[in-house]
Amino acid sequence: MMQPTPLYIIASPRPRMGKTLIALLLLEFFRQSGRPVVGYDLNPREPALTNRLPKLVWPIDITETRGQMELFDGLIADPTSTKVVDLGYGPFDEFFTVMRQIGFVPEARRRLIEPIVLFVTHPTAATVRSYAELQRRFAATFVPVHNESVSLMFAREDFPPTRAESGVIRIPRLSPIVRGVIDRASFSFSSYVTEQPGGSTEIHQWVAQIFTEFREFELRLLMGKLAGSLGGAPVPERKDRRVR
Amino acid sequence: MTKPTVIVVGADKGGVGKTTVARTLLDYFTAHHVPTRAFDTESPKGTLKRFHPDISDIVDVTSVADQMRIFDTLSTTDASVTVIDVRAGLLSPTLRALRDIGFLDAVKKGQLTFVVFHILGSSIASLNEIEETSTFAADGKYFLVKNFINNTSFFEWDQATHSSYFKKLKDAVEITIPKLNEMAYEQVEVASVPFLTFVANKGLKGESANYSFVLRGYVRHWLGNVWGEYDRTKLNEIVASGGVAPANTPRVQVVSRS
Repeated sequence: MMQPTPLYIIASPRPRMGKTLIALLLLEFFRQSGRPVVGYDLNPREPALTNRLPKLVWPIDITETRGQMELFDGLIADPTSTKVVDLGYGPFDEFFTVMRQIGFVPEARRRLIEPIVLFVTHPTAATVRSYAELQRRFAATFVPVHNESVSLMFAREDFPPTRAESGVIRIPRLSPIVRGVIDRASFSFSSYVTEQPGGSTEIHQWVAQIFTEFREFELRLLMGKLAGSLGGAPVPERKDRRVR
Repeated sequence: MTKPTVIVVGADKGGVGKTTVARTLLDYFTAHHVPTRAFDTESPKGTLKRFHPDISDIVDVTSVADQMRIFDTLSTTDASVTVIDVRAGLLSPTLRALRDIGFLDAVKKGQLTFVVFHILGSSIASLNEIEETSTFAADGKYFLVKNFINNTSFFEWDQATHSSYFKKLKDAVEITIPKLNEMAYEQVEVASVPFLTFVANKGLKGESANYSFVLRGYVRHWLGNVWGEYDRTKLNEIVASGGVAPANTPRVQVVSRS
């Protein structure tokens, strides 16, 4: 059975939720795994992701039709590369409006591309509503991401994943000093881990933990698909730690 | 035989999107499997003909010979719907000609179904046109089309004035054509294919094309909204309700007005 290629959309209706960091980690994770990956940075005024990985990431302004064509036509043009979209807070509404109008999700699926929205959660009512509304409007796979640096609280019932087996992706908190290190433009997670293998620094542990999260997440989705296609029992939902 | 339907699309002002509306109608009937033919009155070079060459003919609606080509063939053509895209400034003269040749009488007797799509401009003058043209469509269906595709803002319309005009027209139905993304509209123009063909990513001869998925999506979304308006006004039922024409449907005889 041919597996669809994932298209990750890192989204949140709130600013400063760590979306770019999560997009960066995902790109580094795929790059380290040797999988072809392309990133799209939808923050044209402050293209932080592009600045970090200029050879891998395209900055795009989707307020213009040309930018929308560049993005959405590009996303479905090559079904072999994994795509990561860092959807900024600014173009959040525009992105989903265009996506709905042009019928992007069914077309992507037809081309064996699976849109997966990694929604960075926050306990505010507006964010909970936004998540529910997007899930209602789109047939994409929605996965809640709990970034502990942004909010300690996470109510599982407020952010149910589209597919039970996907669970929640948890991004653990980093100490402020280490945070300062990784925020440097020249810092690369995969290079750091590769160049200093077997290290036991906080960064090593943190990156290893997140990459394991990503690996397990992909595995859970795959297992869920396989179980579904074989008509077997559903994959048990993951029991998250530190979840209220 | 099926009772023929004639749809006249026109305005007394140019640049209000008559041909665009005519194109959406042809696509609508194609999608509903209604055999349709069209006449483009932008003689000698027609825009409608460029997009729908297989079912369109260019005519000079003021010439008797071409009037005969359109109206004398209503009962013999395979098409159950005839769409006439009337050139700017010719709507009122065309409707007068229809009255003079006895076409409107045939409509009154229920032998033909007649629909007028009056595309409105932004000016008050547009409202004045309504009064005159609506009288010709008394026995047919009269649609007033507010077309936003060309970014028309209808700024000159005072709501009270607008309402007073509409009060006089108890049977007129308002249709809104939403704006289409400019780049998408431009690409369809460049491709010179029907909207439906563009959405299907095909060329004029049915060959595969390579149009932008985003632009095709915009066109599909827009066309869906336009057709939603046609469905709301039960256009398909109006055409289908033509049903079976009374026996001995007379051919509308064209006579010279000169």
